[in-house]
Amino acid sequence: MLRYQENNELHRDFHGNTDSAIRYFAGRYGEEKIKEILRRTGHDVYKSIREKLAKNDPSELLEHLVWFYHREGAEFDLKVTANEIRFEVFECPAHKHLRRLGLPVEPINCLQTSEVNAGMCEGTGWTSAVEHIGDDHCVQIFRKEK
Amino acid sequence: MIPSDHFVRFYNELFKFLETLPPEEMQAYYRSISEHQEMHTLALFKEKGLKGMYEYWDHIRFEENCELELELHEDRLVKRMKKCPSLSKVLDNDASPCYSYCNHCPGWVIPVLEKAGYVAQYDIIDHGKPCCRSVIYPASSGKKSSITASEEGKAQK
Repeated sequence: MLRYQENNELHRDFHGNTDSAIRYFAGRYGEEKIKEILRRTGHDVYKSIREKLAKNDPSELLEHLVWFYHREGAEFDLKVTANEIRFEVFECPAHKHLRRLGLPVEPINCLQTSEVNAGMCEGTGWTSAVEHIGDDHCVQIFRKEK
Repeated sequence: MIPSDHFVRFYNELFKFLETLPPEEMQAYYRSISEHQEMHTLALFKEKGLKGMYEYWDHIRFEENCELELELHEDRLVKRMKKCPSLSKVLDNDASPCYSYCNHCPGWVIPVLEKAGYVAQYDIIDHGKPCCRSVIYPASSGKKSSITASEEGKAQK
């Protein structure tokens, strides 16, 4: 079950706020600092996902990915095996909205995915990675360590 | 991707980091947010004044799911936030809330209003509660912008 149930009106402009915050903090305090803050967000805000992963229960992670990407209107493909989760997003909803706002999309924006996922996995026996297939197309991978 | 639904919980983490730095750093970030928000608001506020501000926050209260009362008068706009969705999410969070989270709102709003020729008097009431009130006046009223937290520290009955 999801820790954060969100069913209200979607305010997609927050993707613009996330992007400008990542740029601002990377520019003023360095890329490592914003990575650290994003990992802490993954670790602390998504504590319930992390604690379940530590018990080898990825159910909330799967629910989180499916619900929030569905809610944002993304097309995706999910493949789950005993030791690996592959979540392919064909067009990132955050990038799509930035383009709609007329804002540039740069690779640094993707730190929100790679670092938040890394924070969710920290200390759980799971690792995360992101394979970039195109500017807006990626696969998020979660693997159980052997 | 951080879901747009969860942005404010990330925002909270940013403010927690800034709280560890000298206060000028928080102020610099508020200015940056304010400059970003000017793109959506300044022309409207300059052109339509209090009515334009009413239009902006009327739209926001729907899109951001706010329980917000707006009262437009000839000489002022009164905003009463009954349940702020932003602080509500920050409080409904497995991460700890940033004490000064609420301050970002007047932190970006007041500079835009002042550029448009208005001032705002904010009462945050209590940084731990998702409600506040504010009144916007034309700068020609002679009033000054201010931020208070009128109920903070008062004993609970």
